[in-house]
Amino acid sequence: MTIRYLKKHAALEGHVAVDDAEALAQWLLLQRDPAVHLGKCAGVHGAVLQVLLALRPTVKAMPADPFLAAVLGSS
Amino acid sequence: MNQADLLDQFVIEARECLEAIGKRLLDVEQQPDNEALLNDLFRSVHTLKGNCGLFEFKALERVVHAGEDLLDRVRHRTLAYSAELADALLEAMDYSAQLIDQIERHGRIEGAADAASMAHASALRAFVCEPTSVPQLESAAPAATGARHSVPCQDDSPPWMKRLHLAGLTSRAGLLALRYVPEEGCFFKGEDPWRLARTVPGLLQLDIQGAGAWPQGEDRAAWDCYQCNLDIVLCTDAPRAEVEAHFRCVAEQVNWYAATPDAAADTSDVTSAVANAIGCVDPVSPLLHQRVVALWNDQCDLLERVGDSAGTVLAARNAMGHLLACLDNGAACAALAELPEGVQAASLLAWARANAPAAKEAVRAAARAVRPEPDIGTPPQRSDDGSTSQPQKVLKVGQEKVDRLMELIGEMVVAKNSLPYLAQRAEQVFQQRELAREIKAQYAVINRIAEDMQHAIMQVRMLPVGAVFQRFGRLIRDISRKLGKEVNLVVEGEDTEADKNVIEPLADPLIHILRNSLDHGIELPAVRLAAGKPAAGTIRIVARQESDRVIIEIHDDGAGVNAARVRDKAVERGLIPADKAATLSDDDAVQLIFLPGFSTADEISDLSGRGVGMDVVRTAIERINGGVELSSVQGQGTTLRLSLPLSMAVTTVMVIESAGRRLGVPMDMIVETVRVPAGDVHHFKQARTTVLRGRVVPLRALNDLLALDAAPVPNEEGELAVLVIRHANESVGLLVDHFHGASDIILKPLEGVLAGLVGFAGTALMGDGGVLMVLNPKELLQ
Amino acid sequence: MHRILVVDDAATVRMYHRKILSDAGWHTDEALNGVEALERIHAQDGGGVYDLYVVDVNMPRMDGYSFVRELRRLGARHQAPVVMISTEAQRRDVDAALDAGANCYLVKPAQPSALVLSAALLLGDREAARTAAQGVRT
Repeated sequence: MTIRYLKKHAALEGHVAVDDAEALAQWLLLQRDPAVHLGKCAGVHGAVLQVLLALRPTVKAMPADPFLAAVLGSS
Repeated sequence: MNQADLLDQFVIEARECLEAIGKRLLDVEQQPDNEALLNDLFRSVHTLKGNCGLFEFKALERVVHAGEDLLDRVRHRTLAYSAELADALLEAMDYSAQLIDQIERHGRIEGAADAASMAHASALRAFVCEPTSVPQLESAAPAATGARHSVPCQDDSPPWMKRLHLAGLTSRAGLLALRYVPEEGCFFKGEDPWRLARTVPGLLQLDIQGAGAWPQGEDRAAWDCYQCNLDIVLCTDAPRAEVEAHFRCVAEQVNWYAATPDAAADTSDVTSAVANAIGCVDPVSPLLHQRVVALWNDQCDLLERVGDSAGTVLAARNAMGHLLACLDNGAACAALAELPEGVQAASLLAWARANAPAAKEAVRAAARAVRPEPDIGTPPQRSDDGSTSQPQKVLKVGQEKVDRLMELIGEMVVAKNSLPYLAQRAEQVFQQRELAREIKAQYAVINRIAEDMQHAIMQVRMLPVGAVFQRFGRLIRDISRKLGKEVNLVVEGEDTEADKNVIEPLADPLIHILRNSLDHGIELPAVRLAAGKPAAGTIRIVARQESDRVIIEIHDDGAGVNAARVRDKAVERGLIPADKAATLSDDDAVQLIFLPGFSTADEISDLSGRGVGMDVVRTAIERINGGVELSSVQGQGTTLRLSLPLSMAVTTVMVIESAGRRLGVPMDMIVETVRVPAGDVHHFKQARTTVLRGRVVPLRALNDLLALDAAPVPNEEGELAVLVIRHANESVGLLVDHFHGASDIILKPLEGVLAGLVGFAGTALMGDGGVLMVLNPKELLQ
Repeated sequence: MHRILVVDDAATVRMYHRKILSDAGWHTDEALNGVEALERIHAQDGGGVYDLYVVDVNMPRMDGYSFVRELRRLGARHQAPVVMISTEAQRRDVDAALDAGANCYLVKPAQPSALVLSAALLLGDREAARTAAQGVRT
């Protein structure tokens, strides 16, 4: 349950743990059009959320959790 | 019951938890996949954490909580168990034990504990998240953003409230808003503020921003994603107590604001207006009302999902009736009572919604409601313990209480002994034969009861030897790892019981014996393999009862004691002349290690310690009337055999007189008492002997042994009183002056300045108030 | 006098809750887990009636949810309100408690006056409720 780094986006699936945050941040910084897919994301650790808030990748699909979606949706 | 009792109870249970945890940690190490063990372990840690929370023992709770989080992951298989993890947990539990000792002594934890407790907690949490940068225990709060940890303001709505949109919320009373700004280093502490916020009970809205600015441009590459920069605002309709409990570990990072939406405000206005109208002096407090409303909503919730449980409907109904009673709402109470007895959930729910306290604007009854009397039913009867299917109940009692009871019973046992003496005086001095007879009869009754009490309390004081063996698992694990050896510990018969006073002094000698085994006995794995043994050595501790003794044997399958080396060393140390040493068999030579002075400075490994030889072990065990024997086969192993008395409590002694002094000799050493005509005593050089039943028995004058300058006194027929005792598988006759009778006494070991006195087992208080010195013949005869 | 049954597997917690509740003027009994609680209710030959139950969730042998479910199957006179207490503070735990038939859910460690307030209200003890409401920290 973690992150799959695909060609056009990173797919966060299941519960993404704290140790994935740094790898995600570094990957996003290398992309031309950083994007994430959260359709199968059940939950994230706070550090991972922080990465998403700081680096603001495009969110291709929202997670099921409405609160998480609300936090990511608002700019 | 007061606070001190509660604290005592906390300490007792905390220690039980730690003991269970220690044991389970070792068990789990042997069977890491055993779910039942893991869950058991988790439960003990969980209970301990819960108990800490009741008392605000923050430092302790922090460590235990870290352990609990760790174990939770282990039992859900998101984290693997390992020896390093076990080490960290064991250390954390040792530290917890120290804190509990502090709590027992001072009723609180000393202030300096925080740093150490954070260190232990971080060490545990390090297994969960591996930060790439150095973990910081203290975070330096930046001054830039100003109001990060501002004083909570409760007056007008603080600016951060604007981040919430409350207008659209349904009118549930008691809305609570808060702002949670986690400290920068929180990730390193293993905290997850997002999870904490997300799981707030009754969460309605949630907003997150960066506490400071997010990095831009080039700064992004160097940005540390593990420095927390979140500013969280949320609102909830859960009761404040619950939400506060949810945030209790980070309470200082949270600001509160009670956001009361319109409806509730109206209600309280109406409430007070109506209350004033009826002339009530004491309007219902807003908080009470708030809670009633919350509970009412809970009942509605309950009714919504009740299914077909009539019991639940009834319970909800009863609850609502009580809630209305607390609001003095007699009219609604009556209305509720009028609903049919078997009312369906749906109907009751509809009624409940319609009559909910918050929404009600109708005028209350002017008169105070007559509260319906609760149904008391028949008075409860004490259940007797006659039911046979009850599993054995266990009572936890503090040790001092048992000791006190033991003392009192001991005094009773001794005091009763004066009654026969009184009876004698009544008859002889006061010529009261009838009275004497009655006293004797009554004495028989009291004697029986006292003896029963004595046996009963001895049973209570009996501890299983396993109580001492418990800590060995840990000891062996730690030491064998340090030495690079593999050792298995097998324990048999740990349920064997003996008196507390016998069990407790065993710990030190046993530990020393085990250290010896680990240090000198069990060889390194390579050496063992080369000798055709399995790489792992085995230490076996076997306990069993034999008549009135407890036998404990410690076997190891190590290298055994090297007879030749022992022989040489004893000669070298001047403990035995070389020619004598040469005549000893190997079995006897091995016994030389018990000589005082055998192990000295250059014998030290870092574990066996300095100068604590087997002689000290032997002395310690003999002090509790026990004995220790060693046997060994070179190359195969060593066995130590401890023989201990079952109990130290009541001893029967034979009272004898010698050189005008009254002395006691433990009955279990006495073979017989006999009077020997002076002519039957044979003299040979300095020694005296006699023949009893065909065997030669050496005689020793007790006065000589006690360095008393008097000869044994024969009786009128010229016979000498000989007390034959068993010593080292032989009989020895002690020459004394008189025999008096046998007596039951409580033997008190010598203490203080007298403790080192050789030849005495202790003292006892006699029925006439005098003190009897009780001999230890074994020591005397050495 | 109102009678409360406290059910929790930790002796310290039992003592703590009983102290809080008896200081408020109620009689308390205790049980180690769900099974013992039921034994206690049945053992007193028809007279073992309680006015309130304060029940922990995590107990061995029979947990809080199971106990409440069993309780709700008993006769009418046993259907007193149940306060469920647990260390968990998630919505799903509250839901599980309500599903089992509990009337109220508190998070451990319960602030003493919060526990007393809820207990007083569910017992219908007006005086105790008012006293408790004054004590709760706002």
